[in-house]
Amino acid sequence: MRALAFAFLLAAPALADGNEPVPRVTTDSREYCAELAERLAALPASHGEPVRSMAEEGRRLCETGHPRVGVAKLRRAIRAARVAE
Amino acid sequence: MPVPPVPLDDAPAGWAALMRFLRSAGFRFALLFAVVFIGASALFALVLWYATAGSLDRQTAAALRTDTLGLMERWREGGPGALSEAVAERLSGDVENTAIYLLTGPEGQRLAGNLDRWPAGAEDDGAWITGIVERDGSRVEARIFTRDLGEGYRLAVGRDVEEKQRLRALLAEGFGWSALGAVVFAMAGAAVLRRALENRLRPAAMTARAIAAGDLSRRVPVAGRRDEFDRLGEGMNDMLDRIDRLMEAVRGVSDAIAHDLRTPIARARAKLEEALADSGDPDSLRAAMEQGIADLDHISRVFGALLRIAEAEAGARRAAFAPLDLVPMLADVAEFYGAAAEARGQALSVDLPERLELVGDRDLLAQAAGNLLDNALKFTPEGGQVRLTARAIGRDRVEIAVEDSGPGLSPEDRARAGERFFRADASRATPGSGLGLSLVQAVARQHGGELVLQEASPPPGLRAAMLLGPG
Repeated sequence: MRALAFAFLLAAPALADGNEPVPRVTTDSREYCAELAERLAALPASHGEPVRSMAEEGRRLCETGHPRVGVAKLRRAIRAARVAE
Repeated sequence: MPVPPVPLDDAPAGWAALMRFLRSAGFRFALLFAVVFIGASALFALVLWYATAGSLDRQTAAALRTDTLGLMERWREGGPGALSEAVAERLSGDVENTAIYLLTGPEGQRLAGNLDRWPAGAEDDGAWITGIVERDGSRVEARIFTRDLGEGYRLAVGRDVEEKQRLRALLAEGFGWSALGAVVFAMAGAAVLRRALENRLRPAAMTARAIAAGDLSRRVPVAGRRDEFDRLGEGMNDMLDRIDRLMEAVRGVSDAIAHDLRTPIARARAKLEEALADSGDPDSLRAAMEQGIADLDHISRVFGALLRIAEAEAGARRAAFAPLDLVPMLADVAEFYGAAAEARGQALSVDLPERLELVGDRDLLAQAAGNLLDNALKFTPEGGQVRLTARAIGRDRVEIAVEDSGPGLSPEDRARAGERFFRADASRATPGSGLGLSLVQAVARQHGGELVLQEASPPPGLRAAMLLGPG
């Protein structure tokens, strides 16, 4: 049973072999923070609460070196703005 | 070079003991239990895995397929621009931060999405790949589905499945520990089962060994649980009791043969010796030879009777069974003995129905009925009464009874009258071998019945009834 479990785990082939560079996810970056902020600003409900404060916090996190958490905050703000529409 | 097999007798003691253990029924039962237990556990684990880890995979695949279909719809509606916008919109709403998208143009250039390059091994249309992507400086596992959109455009839709893989690894670890536990339980259960089986079988095995060593008095102790082992022990005990009785009977017959045949053989020998000493007189020589022949005839009759009893008891003559009407046969026997009864001033009365059908051996039944009449006439005094009756009892049973007005038998003698060579003390003076009623009993048993001896009504006298057919 244990061997079977390991077989399940190891069955997945690698995306990149030894020579190919591994694809990188680009959305955990400050650039993407800026892109999200722009997208949020274009939404009509972006100035209402709690969207505004969430966006503010997201921008702040991105600027202080936590782009991943900042992106998550901004995404929440965008979702909230879409719901408010 | 092949190693020749080592014969068990020449093998070292440890090896022989191991082979004995592996061949034992206890080990095989235990192994069967362990295999069934582990098999059931494996089946349970597979179902659980399918329902948990498998379900996670299926959910991811379904989400990717649906997402891709939606994006392809946008591609058909608005081309690369609409699809790029749709990808950007989906990425902006990905609160879970697991979405992966990549749209590339005819030159392989990135048009939209959050992967910096096309994943290796995903060149074919409709390819599913699972592998590693780099996210925020660390490597995570992702599942990606790709489609060719035509005109050189390609779309990759994926999910970061690191969390799910972590959950999957936890499940796998849990299954691993469970499997280890199942193996330990299976082995422990197998050992307990083997020990229990061995403990329950040990008394029977020890009894069998003691009996094989000559102690026929030993019996299997019964635990009183009324289970299969108790039934086996009771069966063995019944078998041993039966063997004991048979051996006792064989011993009794051997003793009786030695005792009862010694007299006529000794008498024949004495007569022949006497004739040899007095060989001058032809008359006494003739008389001695006639006496010797008579004694040898008697011995021959005894052996003939013993042989017939043995045949009846062994059921060797069952091939001679045929449907017959007992009435004419019994009438013939009564007529044969009627003359002897008349000569001795005895009254032989017969009460038979019109017909009495039975499936049986005509010769043996006639011999048995003759023995009953012969016995009755022998022990009934002059002027006494002997009565032969026959009747049907129910649908399958027939009774042939002979009742006399002789001295009868005590209850103790009646209980032993069916034994070979048994003669009541009062009948020692009467000629006979003590085999007549033994034959009647054997014939009755061969016909599925029994011999019943009772006091005559009215007493004194004996009523000997041969019951034939199942009761």
